[in-house]
Amino acid sequence: MVQLTLPKGSAPKKGKTWPKPEGKKVKKFKVYRYSPEEGGNPRWDTYFVDMDQCGPMILDVLIYIKNNIDSTLAFRRSCREGVCGSCAMNIGGQNTIACTRGWEEIAGPHITIAPLPHQPVVKDLIPDLTNFYAQHAYVQPFLKTDTPEPEKEWTQTEEERELLDGLYECILCASCSTSCPSYWWNGDKYLGPAALLQAYRWLIDSRDEATGERLDDLEDPFKLYRCHTIMNCAQVCPKGLNPAKAIAKIKHMMVERVA
Amino acid sequence: MTTSAKSVRGLGSAGAGTQHHIRQRVTAVALLFLVPWFLYSIIVACKAGYEGALTWVAQPVNAILLILTLSAALYHMRLGIQVVIEDYIAKSGTRQALLILNTFAVIALAAATILSVLKIWFTAGA
Ligand code: SF4
Ligand code: FES
Repeated sequence: MVQLTLPKGSAPKKGKTWPKPEGKKVKKFKVYRYSPEEGGNPRWDTYFVDMDQCGPMILDVLIYIKNNIDSTLAFRRSCREGVCGSCAMNIGGQNTIACTRGWEEIAGPHITIAPLPHQPVVKDLIPDLTNFYAQHAYVQPFLKTDTPEPEKEWTQTEEERELLDGLYECILCASCSTSCPSYWWNGDKYLGPAALLQAYRWLIDSRDEATGERLDDLEDPFKLYRCHTIMNCAQVCPKGLNPAKAIAKIKHMMVERVA
Repeated sequence: MTTSAKSVRGLGSAGAGTQHHIRQRVTAVALLFLVPWFLYSIIVACKAGYEGALTWVAQPVNAILLILTLSAALYHMRLGIQVVIEDYIAKSGTRQALLILNTFAVIALAAATILSVLKIWFTAGA
């Protein structure tokens, strides 16, 4: 059953408010905090950051907070330039990656920062994406062929290669899947936009010979057909990709094979 | 303890879903034509009063189109409610019970409405 209320112990409470510094450009941030060791409910901690001392991105804000205000804050990041996907979180109510979202882009008196929705929280802004990664593995995101490998390499025409544009750029940040209501309700069975975008990336690869098997693996009311074209995925993708369109194309392939 | 791979694979692919997808769209296309006709007809039939409406329904073309509209709409509704049930009811026993109920309700509605049209058609002028 759909859970319209948070499970016991997971509704965030008001947390600590950290001191407000002097400065002309002080911005207020409400950050989701949860630590399994401490137990208890999660809480919203309030931080004030002097933006004259801080870089332009939300990730800069988090790093500033960790270095200068509260070293206990936990979050993931690696590349800090939008290629690794590890800093995905919910910023100002929208899933995105923290390292490419400028704080000035977000309107309102304060900015909320929370982990990606509807996933178990490991700590603070770090979600447990085990299920998400297993869904990616399910679509077997690698080239599958029976024909013996050519001596040099598998070749593609330029047009064939172009079919992969808008698909291969995915950084697996999970912003799309965790923004999808269908994924919230049925994330255990629905593969979600990110995994399906990757499924399509291999379905239309001119070199791949497992198209039929791949479609077989997706032919399911839950794994594929839970997509109701809600389009949150396309709206939030920080790389500007459109998983909903890829899913629609998978459905076209399914129809083509029976009619 | 189950691994994440095991839980994602679950019971495997059902090997179904595309037929539902196709039928939902085919009935939608049919309704695209039938519903405007139906709305127009309701207005015409209502203007003619009770006796006029009966005469209107009793005309074979109208009766046939009415039955087609009812069939397409009810089948489309069954498919749609099925999706809602699958979306929101995670417990498999409850879900299956509701899916059966959905089918029964739609068949009952179809029987009642289509037989009503047939009755008017066949008994007109009698
Ligand atoms: S499609 Fe976009 S939002 Fe989804 S995982 Fe890939 S990069 Fe992230
Ligand atoms: S730190 Fe790599 S995408 Fe943000």
